[in-house]
Amino acid sequence: MAKPKVASVWLEACAGCHMSFLDIDERIVDLIGKVDFTATPITDFKEIPEVEVGVIEGALGNEEELHIAKELRSKCKILIAWGDCAVFGGINCMRNFMPAEKVLEEGYVHTATTVNPDGVIPCDEVPALLPQAIPVDRAVKVDVYVPGCPPEADVIYYVFSEILEGRIPTVPTDVMRYD
Amino acid sequence: MSEITLVIDGVECKGSQGDTILQVARANDVYIPTLCFMDGLTPIGSCRMCVVEAEGSNKLLTACTSPVTEGMKILTKTDRLIQYRRQILELLFAGRNHFCMFCSQSGDCELQRLAIEHGMDSVRYPFLYSDFHNDASDPNIQVDHNRCILCLRCIRVCSEKVGAHTLDLEKRGWGTTVTADLGQQLGKSETCVTCGACAQVCPTGTITLRDFVYRGRRTDCDSQVETLCPLCPVGCKIKAYVRTGSVVRVEGLSTASADGGQLCSKGRWWLPSSTERERLAVPMIREGSSFREASWDEALSLVAEKMTPALESGKAGALISEISTDEELAVMSSFFRDTMKMDKVDGFYGNQLRGFVEGFKPFARQGVRPFTGAHHILESDAILVLDADPQEEAPVVASYIRVSTIIGRAKLVNVSSGKNPFEGITDADLRVSGKEMKALLVALREGGAGGAVPENVKGALEILKGAKKPIVVLGSNLAKTPELVTEALNLAVACGAPFDDGLAVVPMFLASNSLGALNTVTGGKDWLSEGDLDFLYVHSTGMVDEDTHSLNAMTRARFVVVQTPFMVHPLVQMADVLLPVPAWFERSGHYCTLEGDRRKMNVVVPPQGNLKGLGVIMKELAAKLGRTLQEASTAPCENVYVAKAAPDKAQIVTTKEVR
Repeated sequence: MAKPKVASVWLEACAGCHMSFLDIDERIVDLIGKVDFTATPITDFKEIPEVEVGVIEGALGNEEELHIAKELRSKCKILIAWGDCAVFGGINCMRNFMPAEKVLEEGYVHTATTVNPDGVIPCDEVPALLPQAIPVDRAVKVDVYVPGCPPEADVIYYVFSEILEGRIPTVPTDVMRYD
Repeated sequence: MSEITLVIDGVECKGSQGDTILQVARANDVYIPTLCFMDGLTPIGSCRMCVVEAEGSNKLLTACTSPVTEGMKILTKTDRLIQYRRQILELLFAGRNHFCMFCSQSGDCELQRLAIEHGMDSVRYPFLYSDFHNDASDPNIQVDHNRCILCLRCIRVCSEKVGAHTLDLEKRGWGTTVTADLGQQLGKSETCVTCGACAQVCPTGTITLRDFVYRGRRTDCDSQVETLCPLCPVGCKIKAYVRTGSVVRVEGLSTASADGGQLCSKGRWWLPSSTERERLAVPMIREGSSFREASWDEALSLVAEKMTPALESGKAGALISEISTDEELAVMSSFFRDTMKMDKVDGFYGNQLRGFVEGFKPFARQGVRPFTGAHHILESDAILVLDADPQEEAPVVASYIRVSTIIGRAKLVNVSSGKNPFEGITDADLRVSGKEMKALLVALREGGAGGAVPENVKGALEILKGAKKPIVVLGSNLAKTPELVTEALNLAVACGAPFDDGLAVVPMFLASNSLGALNTVTGGKDWLSEGDLDFLYVHSTGMVDEDTHSLNAMTRARFVVVQTPFMVHPLVQMADVLLPVPAWFERSGHYCTLEGDRRKMNVVVPPQGNLKGLGVIMKELAAKLGRTLQEASTAPCENVYVAKAAPDKAQIVTTKEVR
């Protein structure tokens, strides 16, 4: 049987979850022997192929992220939400306390380091903001939740190991964390 | 109390009539999760975390408020309950801002701990992102209402333990928030005493203390040491949290204890900042307008050289802080009194203590302990406050008075020459001058038998007459006139003896170990104002500002040795020689408190560097003076005013005319 394929995406987040994944250290060699990593933020795949396991790091804050999440969901059998942003919305939710227009105005016009005398807010070149930054499961079905900011390497490794054994894991309470 | 047998999770448990399910479960080591519940505070069952199933009952019971009944069969861990609890937690997380990654309390948070315990790996409900305000108006206490779960612990501790009742709820439903006074920002509250009890009990990151946040979570701290707060004579038991050698947080021990686990504004802020204060690390010798560092040998030799002639001429004095431990006071007493045979030895609060001692004398002769544990205020039904301002003198005593009045429905009578410190909650408020005080006390004692009673005194008289457990709080101001102290005690004797440990009197001593000082360093008279000294030895703990009376004496003395842990001003400017001593967190020993017991102070952070303990310094100084330090011969502080006769045996005594 061919090795199961994994694809991961980095959406509205800091990449800390992927960094934490790399912290599984030499166990990555063992893991690569068992699974095929396809599209990830550190490989250069233009398209997400059909995979067994999809991983999302980050919340969904704009149209593009929403699109990617839906695409990955349609191409994977098991979808993992990695980290607080994907699970709860995380730090991106700080903007949910005000309207999206206000957020753009703050970011592009009012911040102290911005020089934008005409008050131009980019709209055509960049994907439109969603009204609120949302956790992944608000848009697509999530099979495995791995909270943590970031989740610890051991937890990430545990989740992969369990899936390889054919189980859908939940994070044990003794290693679960939200920060 | 009749015994009740019930079964919890299949285990037979015993409880008493009136116990709640939670109490019995805890006593039998059955864990039931709780969130709004806190030992010592009125249970309100609002968070629903502690729900349990009872056989034969369709509805779930909140374990913290439901009393046990005979034969009950309780289940605490069914799948249904665990699902409900997780659901409650998810709803709480969805309701306000409970995103842990940017919260100062993450890791210390009880809400977070419970959510993890219940395996909450996602929230199934829509997040509300409701935007509540963040009240940053108080310089010390921050209230972020977005993180509030409305457990009402803060409100309950503020009203039930501190008696301030600053906090309460405003608005309804989703919009409910905790508020101060009548919809005021906390910083503008007139009733808040800034004790920080609300932050201590807050289970989330809602109420936080600026001095404590981001200095280390409780769980990150290297050690947690139980000790006492030496700032005032109440001697609150505290837990000090230490991280990398700094005291980063102090908390009261337990809301279930007599003092309600509260601290006052003094202890809460002063103690944790003390490890960051400027220390005196090595001995220093004055050189012109500044100091130069010196070796212990050189500094002590200079002290001995200046001390010797002053001793011969009788112009040597010693001022010892009464904030010292029993053991330290014994060392100082043995050095100055027993070894050096000096009679000019006193504490900073000598005059005040002598006033109280003089006033207590007739009752001490009768073998009666002239005061009672301060927490008895909580049990009393009438409180007479005589010229006292407990919120300044010993703030936790003020809490007792407010709680007893507001919660315990005790009547409060205030007699003072100035402003009423309990404005708004007093039942009778009498304004008298110092001269009128004695007549008033006699009138109250004689119950109007001695003649016509003025109209305004009648109310107070009625209250005292009707009381079963009256208690008298003596202000420190009263100690200026010992006859008034005696008269106040006479009044307490006339009111009966409601408490076993002594007369129903709580004197507002100002220094934390006043009782220990009485036995050791407190002098027989005020020699400080009697004439200039050639040599003055000052032992300060650097915790409380020195009064002008003492500072003036230091200014006039020819040679001043100051022993202090901190570079406190203006004290250090007075010195010719500065000697470092360990600070409160580096010392251990005992204090006799207003609560009536002898409490232990423990080392919180071990001393470092060139510090020497007081015993070593005094021994070396004695050697420089050609003497051997005598063994400390004084009795420990609890032997001062030890009760030889029961308080109901006390007799009323006659006093001199008050000038």
